[in-house]
Amino acid sequence: MSFRHLWAVIRKELLHILRDRGTFLLVLVTPTLVLLLMTYSLAVKIQHVPIALLDYDQSPTSREFMHQITAGDDLDLYENAASMEQIEDLLIKGKIKAAIIIGPEFSKDLLAMRGLSLQIIIDGTEPETGGFAVDHIGWRAESFANDILADQILTSGISLDSLEPIDLRIRSWYNPSLEPRIDIVPGLLSIVLGFPAFSVALTLAREHEHSTMEQLLATPISRIELLLGKMIPYILAGMVNVIVIPLIALAWFDVPFNGSFLEFLLLSAIFLFAELSMGMVIGVFMKSQSAALALSFLVVLFPGFFLTGIFFPIAALPEMARMESLFLPGTHYAIITRGVFLTGIGMDTLWPYAIMLVILGAAFTGTAALFFKKKLA
Amino acid sequence: MTDKEFIKITDLTRKFKDNIALDSINLTIQEGELFGLVGPDGAGKTTLLRTLAGLLGISSGEVREAGCDLRKNSEAVKSKIGYMAQEFSLYGKLSVLENLQFFGEMYDVPPGLQKERIPGLLAFAQLTDFTNRRAAKLSGGMKKKLALACTLLHQPPILLLDEPTTGVDPVSRREFWNILNDLHLDGTTIIVSTPYMDEADRCSRVGLIYQGRIAVCDSPKNIRQKIEGEFIKIVTNDWQKAREIIHPLKGVLEVQSYGEALHILVDSSTKRLGQIQKALRKNKLEIMEIRVIKPRMEEAFISLIRKIGQTN
Repeated sequence: MSFRHLWAVIRKELLHILRDRGTFLLVLVTPTLVLLLMTYSLAVKIQHVPIALLDYDQSPTSREFMHQITAGDDLDLYENAASMEQIEDLLIKGKIKAAIIIGPEFSKDLLAMRGLSLQIIIDGTEPETGGFAVDHIGWRAESFANDILADQILTSGISLDSLEPIDLRIRSWYNPSLEPRIDIVPGLLSIVLGFPAFSVALTLAREHEHSTMEQLLATPISRIELLLGKMIPYILAGMVNVIVIPLIALAWFDVPFNGSFLEFLLLSAIFLFAELSMGMVIGVFMKSQSAALALSFLVVLFPGFFLTGIFFPIAALPEMARMESLFLPGTHYAIITRGVFLTGIGMDTLWPYAIMLVILGAAFTGTAALFFKKKLA
Repeated sequence: MTDKEFIKITDLTRKFKDNIALDSINLTIQEGELFGLVGPDGAGKTTLLRTLAGLLGISSGEVREAGCDLRKNSEAVKSKIGYMAQEFSLYGKLSVLENLQFFGEMYDVPPGLQKERIPGLLAFAQLTDFTNRRAAKLSGGMKKKLALACTLLHQPPILLLDEPTTGVDPVSRREFWNILNDLHLDGTTIIVSTPYMDEADRCSRVGLIYQGRIAVCDSPKNIRQKIEGEFIKIVTNDWQKAREIIHPLKGVLEVQSYGEALHILVDSSTKRLGQIQKALRKNKLEIMEIRVIKPRMEEAFISLIRKIGQTN
């Protein structure tokens, strides 16, 4: 291998990244933007769900109940409905996501300890919001009923302590408040830091489209010099992201960083090598930039979302998909980022994933070199 | 193979699926020749040059260039060749100098030698004032000259140029050919394909490639002499009608049209000159010009292609 050839290609490609606005944006700006965008859109807390109430009881108890239901930020009373027809109308128009119908015997039943006669209607077209409303109304109703029961029991003279045999307290480690953002950000890193893979996939096709490939192939450069020379600049650019983006995550989203930053840099460099090699394999087969980009979306981006365990646990995937996920560098890197950010584990625990990434990178680069021919046709 | 036989092509065939692009080509080019490759579009000029540059595989046959077997050792051959593709194929985002340096590195020209040679090449390509301009911002002619300069930095013994002057203005075209002449005089072996017959005329030898075969290969002078007969140039007030009248006349072998003018190949000018004039006058056509001309490459080329077409 000639290091002069290698360095000349690296230098040319670095100049291209810096001088071509499209490439610059794709490699160095979009990862940050996408991280911010996705974190905000995926980690939103459902709040202020509009609901309607139809109170057939019209008692002080039912009014007190309704007051408690809407006391928090989660549910907002949109309308005190007068009839079922009105509720249906509000649901159809999308003004409310759920409705509570309080039966005429509500307070009587409750005080007689016969349970709650309560109906909840939800908008099934938005199951997320509907389910949220049911859960929250349920919790509120339960605690409301418990309070009333407790009052009843207290007045009857029984000690409350004997009524609670199990005291269950759930504690989530590493993410004590179960804030979704904290969990999502390290996972998303494995997607956005892999973005330079797109540019790598495009870089060979660009040479074909601008017919510089013809001139380049006429020189005595070797295949591996060309492929590595094309990949290394994007690994370097990717390392800029690896430093900048975690800083944004730490500052902006209050994500904890419990591991060693140096180890994180090393593991990220290995990940970039593996991920970008995957892009290079695509680049070797696609002669046009649009085809290379389309294939990158299919091979890199979508599996990155669904098969790397960021949103859905890998154990829950069908067997074929589980197999495929092993071949995606993002799967291993997602474990690494979560480990380094949240649990603070280091190389001593993460080394098998690092080795897996090295193997993947070498296999992808080898495949690319095998199929890349120094011929035009 | 003698030392003088610098490029020797034996029974070279190249197929693209069912299409035979090069059909058992045999060609020997001596060291220091300026060899012109002419032929209609799609005849196989680019395929032949790309094959010689090691960019296309060989289906069958043998090619030896500067003592190397292209089939066995295409990478070793590449360092001995300067290849200039037909389309502009340098890096638009890099400056003139950066492009030169990049190809200097690719061809393993030591940095010291690069420093030595680049100013000369820039001057020679008249690009000294544009050293730091991005290649994408150069004019068509400058781009071609830069591409040539990039192929010359490693001083290759063989230059393969694929239509280097297509899309270039006449002044730049002349400058470009002056550069080629200098290289030719320095002893570089050059194969250049061209659609321009005046350029073919400047080569030491010309190969006419037609349907993947070398149809004729000789010096421009001999090719012109291959035409049996003489050319008469006629300008009339209605060339289309004149063509219809002249074509069936006795002794007229061919009528080629060049704008308003007709170039007529006849068996003998002394016999046919009067006859043609008479026929045109009879049809009340006005003759603005009529004279015997020496056949140029262009007439020879069209005539040869037609002859091959007829025998097929």
